[in-house]
Amino acid sequence: MKALATVITQPAHPPSTALSTHALSAGHGKHRVIESLDFALPENQVTAIVGPNGCGKSTLLNTLGRILAPQGGHVLLDGIDIHHLPSKQVAQKLALLPQETTAPEGMTVLDLVRFGRQPHQPWYSQWSAEDQRIVKAALKAANLLDMQNRELDKLSGGQRQRAWIAMAIAQDTPLLLLDEPTSALDLGHQIEVFELIRSLITQGKTVAMVVHDLLNAARYADHIVAMHEGAIIAQGSPKEILTPELVYELYQVRCDVINDPVNGAPLLVNIRR
Amino acid sequence: MQILPFQQPRQPLPLAGYWRLKAFNQRITLLVSQRATWVNMGLVLAVLAASTMSLGMGSVQLSPAEVWLALAGEGPAMHQLVVKELRLMRVLAGIGTGAAFALAGCLMQTLARNRLATPGIIGIDNAATAFAVASVVGVGSALAPPAMSLVGAITATALIFALAGSSGTQGYRFIVVGLGIGAIAGAGTQLILSWVAIDDANAAFPWTIGSLNARSPDAFKLLCAGLALGVFFAYRLAKGLNALRLSETVPTTLGFNIKRLRAASLVLAVFLTGLAVAVAGPVGMVALLGPEIARALCRHRGLPILASALAGALLMVLADLLGRIMLAPLEIPVGIVTAVVGSPYLLWMLLNPNFRSQP
Repeated sequence: MKALATVITQPAHPPSTALSTHALSAGHGKHRVIESLDFALPENQVTAIVGPNGCGKSTLLNTLGRILAPQGGHVLLDGIDIHHLPSKQVAQKLALLPQETTAPEGMTVLDLVRFGRQPHQPWYSQWSAEDQRIVKAALKAANLLDMQNRELDKLSGGQRQRAWIAMAIAQDTPLLLLDEPTSALDLGHQIEVFELIRSLITQGKTVAMVVHDLLNAARYADHIVAMHEGAIIAQGSPKEILTPELVYELYQVRCDVINDPVNGAPLLVNIRR
Repeated sequence: MQILPFQQPRQPLPLAGYWRLKAFNQRITLLVSQRATWVNMGLVLAVLAASTMSLGMGSVQLSPAEVWLALAGEGPAMHQLVVKELRLMRVLAGIGTGAAFALAGCLMQTLARNRLATPGIIGIDNAATAFAVASVVGVGSALAPPAMSLVGAITATALIFALAGSSGTQGYRFIVVGLGIGAIAGAGTQLILSWVAIDDANAAFPWTIGSLNARSPDAFKLLCAGLALGVFFAYRLAKGLNALRLSETVPTTLGFNIKRLRAASLVLAVFLTGLAVAVAGPVGMVALLGPEIARALCRHRGLPILASALAGALLMVLADLLGRIMLAPLEIPVGIVTAVVGSPYLLWMLLNPNFRSQP
């Protein structure tokens, strides 16, 4: 009995959660985008998935987040096929921020962020002390505490996007997938959102995001995954992999790469066709 | 798993606009929307008032006090006869059908993420009617008309789904296909009516416009049972449907089985519509207006399940009352009244440049 008790008191989850794919094929209907892809998401890092339009980066992210079912192969969460796990259990480990979001009329920031607690709530526990603590922490992380009762409709684009990220934070998952978190945001709001994403890493999370802008990817990601025609053609730290050759292969654009004199991150300069 | 490192003392985060009920050392915590509670109570009172008026008005005029006395089994025998035997069933049928239409509308609008996607507009009412009319005039089937209307509703839904293809309940394709099915079903009804003997056509006529005159007691009992189950299941689906208001993908991310959610909500909406058509025929616009009123009253926070049903019931009772007293002793079927009231609103929705299609 004593042995059993120690087994039960062990933490239910391993300290970090690994997301990987095995021979993954994915696409929409007959149009196959990704063919036989093996990939493991580096833990406790920000990974940026980059590549030209239609290269399959969003498809990969949505398949990892089980929005799309794989056409072949597996998405593995701690080694178990994600589609064999109960949906609620996956939702406790993996949050995904979709690209297209709409804010229903009248919904407040707090209403939205509260949604993140759904996977942890039985029907009879709708606003527990734990929920309150975590939602508050998420609002604080996104710097939205004093805007919690504002309607989403009436916020700026950056504030609204931060509210959506706060919802994903409130889901309290070790893994966070973000599909173009800064598209349609101006420069200031982009920085706001990227800095929030960086701050998540200090809390032990693993983040994967699809990003359009290589410069932002180089600046804010620890790991870059470059995709072209459904395959990963290069991955590694920005310093290792960002070369003029890779940029040409991805976008058919010539450029030079120098190091940012301030923070040392790679910079693309002299960009031309 | 605890990822957020917050060790500070626990301070409650109050939710504006909700009562938080707790029990067993906060192991049970329930949220009750204050506004929705007041709205629902107000709507119940309004339904009671409208019903009292409806029970009192007609060829024998009764005061509200006389109506309630008669309902309690006191007062003159004549009053009791008028209220309990002649008018009560009609009012109850109005409440039941209105609630069922509006609840179905609320579910389907949320499901399709489009305020235009009510069962009436996408042709389910029409198909239910066509089948019911076919059975009244004795074409093809001996099944009772109410059962046939349910069969019609299910058939139409299956057809719409098959023809809308992979897009499922998403987007305009679903609505456009539904419009087509509805038009075909409407034409079918007309064809049957022009085919059969005039007496049969007359018997089937109430089915085609929506009226509380031709109700069958059995269908009404079925509707009551369906409505009780419907409200219960709607509340069980509410969380997932609420997440669906955010985005197509959010329910999956939050751990809901989106396919099951869609299928269950659709089946529920179709059954409620079929049951309501079985009692009153295709009363249009209640499924559109009921949820619209409920959402406006609840200021769009959450999914107004009970409020939609109550608003639908109120609309139906008022429309029926209006139809009975407007041109008395001539009676205008309730379906015509709701169409006259609802169509301008539908037009306004379509023409309003600031129209948000999302419920």
